[in-house]
Amino acid sequence: MLTAGIDVGHESVAVVVVHDDGTLGHATFVIAGEVGAAAALAFEQTLARLGIARDRVHRVFATGIGRENVRLADGHRTPMLSHVRGAHSLFPAARTVIDIGAEGSRVMRCDANGYLTNFALNDKCAAGSGVFLETVADMLDVPLADMGRLSLKASRTVVLTATCAVFAESEIVAEIHRGSSREDILWGVNESIVSRIAATSRRVGIEPDLVLTGGVARNVGVVQALREQLEVDIAVPEHPQIAGALGAALLARDAGRC
Amino acid sequence: MVVCGIDMGARTAKAVLLADGEIAAHSILRTGPDSAAVAVAVLDRALETTAIRREDIELTVATGYGRVVVPFAERNVTEIACHARGNHYLFPSVRTILDMGGQDCKAIRCDDTGKVTTFLMNDKCAAGTGRSMEVMAALLQVPLEDVGRLSLEANGQPAKISSTCVVFAKSEVLALARQGVPTTEILAGLCDGVAERVKGLLRTVGVVEDFVISGGISKNIGVVRRIEEKLGVTSHIGFEPQIVGALGAALFARDFLERGRQPGRGRGGG
Repeated sequence: MLTAGIDVGHESVAVVVVHDDGTLGHATFVIAGEVGAAAALAFEQTLARLGIARDRVHRVFATGIGRENVRLADGHRTPMLSHVRGAHSLFPAARTVIDIGAEGSRVMRCDANGYLTNFALNDKCAAGSGVFLETVADMLDVPLADMGRLSLKASRTVVLTATCAVFAESEIVAEIHRGSSREDILWGVNESIVSRIAATSRRVGIEPDLVLTGGVARNVGVVQALREQLEVDIAVPEHPQIAGALGAALLARDAGRC
Repeated sequence: MVVCGIDMGARTAKAVLLADGEIAAHSILRTGPDSAAVAVAVLDRALETTAIRREDIELTVATGYGRVVVPFAERNVTEIACHARGNHYLFPSVRTILDMGGQDCKAIRCDDTGKVTTFLMNDKCAAGTGRSMEVMAALLQVPLEDVGRLSLEANGQPAKISSTCVVFAKSEVLALARQGVPTTEILAGLCDGVAERVKGLLRTVGVVEDFVISGGISKNIGVVRRIEEKLGVTSHIGFEPQIVGALGAALFARDFLERGRQPGRGRGGG
């Protein structure tokens, strides 16, 4: 049986198709135009890429902030349920999952069966979100994909004190004027983002193993800073940005089994 | 007796020269990367407008976010105390002050002598500060000084902006503009949002009249009107609401001299 998950975030759509023995394929698309149409197009293109006819896909679950706009979906699941399901399928020892997306972060706890037991959200504030990283990438003229690697070369002398992403921008400008290196500023940014996420994490408590999902998990600098602040090891999936879609696809498969 | 107050804010620096208890000169200057140089420049600019010479100044008190970097200040006093003091000088009947600055917002209650009794401050989040208005005015390509007036010219309902966070609200505002929502309605929504944030702060400290608004945003009539409506109070606004903190600092300088204290660095007043 084939099932699919579509994760509609603020900036991108991820599609994952699974069969009984595992993942068949996945793809990520940047959202352009109306969200529902973008999700439908992403789904079609993923199927075309994998050479799968639409009628072979048994059930489709949508997740993410824009899940209600996915009209082709047979059901919806919250991002919390999807991320935990996805992360737990990749790392069965996972008991805590942190998802850092474009417009917020969420910390989820689960049990040995991968059932969600507790969570805390930050979706009200851009500090600690992917959008902030994008702004910084722009300001420092560093490709988003290189930020993490560069930040690991920092001498770790820059400390940003602002809790607000808008105020942090001014602090970064001041650091640029002061002659601080890009690497040092980037590490300061990592620590600033991570301190927000660590605060959310402490609200639900952290139990290892800890898995990090969402697009920001691809930034090795943020992962390293989080590892240091939380003092736990962190597992990152090969494709952290599709964990939600994977979870939705698996939940769609689970639904057929009951 | 000539004394000086310098208010080093997050976005602007202000200077007030007080000669025998009267405001003799004042100036406002945008801050730059070198705060100490800005402090010197803002004082120079105030001096240019009077016959007072730098050596006439007997004592300088600095306040504001950057108060410790003013090279020529003998003392510094917190901005909360200075805003209460300055507003009380301008409006002796004031009991509640809302000071909306570039990067923070303070709700202050004071007694009949202008002494602070309680206060609440938001300096952690750009929402509801002058900075949010600067960001949005730039985004919509509207001069900052026109925001308030234009927001009151909206024909329809204020645009609904659900994000509190300025970063997220920017995306909402862009989407609204793209949908063709008139700029006046978007500005109305933004001013309403700032007023709503401020209302929370004021409700917590409690509003007792007379009520005074100072700081840069008090020049935004759209925000001021909406705060008045939401709280059901009338506000008083001074002739130059941005210099109130510096005025308070100058008044503290006069107090220090009159009390014959030995000048020395450190926190005073309050």
